[in-house]
Amino acid sequence: MSAKIAVLGLVIEEPSPAHRLTAKLRQRLSSAEFVDSNVYSALARLEREGLVRSCAEASYEATDEGVRHFEQWLFASSSAPPLRDELHMKIALCQPQNLPRMIELVYGQELFCLSRVQELKKSFERIRSPDPSRWSGLVMVMIRDAELAFWEARLGWLQGVRESLENMAVSHQDASRAERAAKLDGSLRDASPGEPLAGTGLGAGVQYASRRHREA
Amino acid sequence: MSALLSLEGVGKSYLRGPHRVRVLKDVTLDVGAGQLVAVWGKRGVGKTTLLKIAARLERPDQGVVRFEGVDMAGLREAEHTRLMLERIGWVRRAGPKSELRMLDYVALPRLAARGRREAYSLAREALERVGMSECAGQHWSSLSDGERSLISIAHGIVRAPKLLLVDDPTANLDVIEREQVTQLLRSLADDEGMALLITVPDMPAVMRAHHIASLSGGRLALPPSEAPEPPLSPEEAQPGKVIQLRGREQSA
Repeated sequence: MSAKIAVLGLVIEEPSPAHRLTAKLRQRLSSAEFVDSNVYSALARLEREGLVRSCAEASYEATDEGVRHFEQWLFASSSAPPLRDELHMKIALCQPQNLPRMIELVYGQELFCLSRVQELKKSFERIRSPDPSRWSGLVMVMIRDAELAFWEARLGWLQGVRESLENMAVSHQDASRAERAAKLDGSLRDASPGEPLAGTGLGAGVQYASRRHREA
Repeated sequence: MSALLSLEGVGKSYLRGPHRVRVLKDVTLDVGAGQLVAVWGKRGVGKTTLLKIAARLERPDQGVVRFEGVDMAGLREAEHTRLMLERIGWVRRAGPKSELRMLDYVALPRLAARGRREAYSLAREALERVGMSECAGQHWSSLSDGERSLISIAHGIVRAPKLLLVDDPTANLDVIEREQVTQLLRSLADDEGMALLITVPDMPAVMRAHHIASLSGGRLALPPSEAPEPPLSPEEAQPGKVIQLRGREQSA
C-alpha cells in the first residue's frame, strides 16, 4: 500500500494539516512503517494530481476527484502479498552441519517477533483504550489484530521450525555418535549406519518425526 | 518489595508413550504485585502445566517455586489448601459439575472460612465486579463462553487473592468478549494490586498485559528488552531491588 492512498484516506476522513496526518498515519498504520517525509511527498503528489487541495489553517482537504479516486481503490480487489523470506530459503537449503547456527537464527527471529508484539502493545497503551463495541474502536482493534495475526502466525511457524531443527540436531548427534562407536570397535561395515541426514535438508525431519521431543 | 510469585529454573517432564517429554526447561519467571503477565503459546506446549506448578497443583522435577518468598515445596497439605482458598485464585473455565446456581458456585471457596451469609455477600460482590450480577441465578450450562470466563474469574477473585492464575481466559471468545475479559484482568492488577499470571492461545489477548512471554519446546522466551540482565554488581545489588520479570533463555 502506498503512503499516497493512505494519506488521501485520512484527508477524506477529516481535513488536516500535514503534521497531524503524520501522527495519524503512525497511530493507525504503524505496521506499514511510513516515515514523516512519505506524508509530505504524498501530499505534494496528491495536490499536483488534483486529488487534494489546501484549505484553511494549512490543512488539506480532498477534492471530488480525490474521493472518487479513493473509492475506486477501496472497492477494488486486493492482491495477496508475495512471500519472499530469506529465512525460508536458508532453512530450505541448510545442511545438518548448519543446524546449531540455524537454530540460533530461528530463535533470534522468534525474539524479534516478540519484540514487535511488545512494541505494538506499547504503542497501543499510549492511546486511549479503544471501545470495540463502537465502530471506530472496533476498526482500531481489527487493524491491530491483523498485525498481531501476522506475528502470531510467524512466531508459531518459527517455534515449530526450531523444535524440528533441535530434534534433528539430537538425531544427527546420535547418528554421529553411533558411527564413531562403530568405527572404534571395527564393525562399521556390519553396523550400516549410513548417512541419514547428509544433504537432505529440512525434509529429513519427516523421517525423524517419531523421535521428536526425545531427550538426548 | 519482592516478587510475589517466583519460579526459578523450573523443569517438568512427562512420559508420553515410550518417550519422556520435557514440557518445561529451566523456566525462570517473577510476577510482582500489580502486574499482569501473559504467557502465549500454542495448545499443548505446557502452559497449563506452568500454572499448575505455580499453584503447586503439580510438583516440578527441577527448580523452586516461591510464593511471598516461601518455597511452596515445603508447605504442608493443610497450609497449601489454606493458601489456595485465601491467597491464590486458580481460574479455569471448567465450571461446576453439579447444577449449582452461579451465586452458589462463586460463594463456594468462602463458605468454610466465612460462613454462609458472608460468603454469599462476597460472592455477590465478585459477580458485580466482573459485571455478571444478572447471571447469579443461572446455571453453567446456560452460559455463553464469554459469561463462563467472567464467572470463572469471579470464582477466583471471591477469595480476594494476592495472586490470580488464569488458564486460557480468552479461548473461543469473540473480539468484544476478549477485550472485556482482558480489560477486567488488567484492572484487577492496576486497581486492586493483584499479581496475575495468565496463559493465552491467541496473541491479541496479550495486549493488556504488562509483560509478555512465549512458551514453546519447554522454553520460556521473553522480548529482548525483558531478557535476563547480566548479574548485578555489589553496588547495584541493593536490598529491595526487584527485577519483576526474568527469563533464562539459551538457544540450543
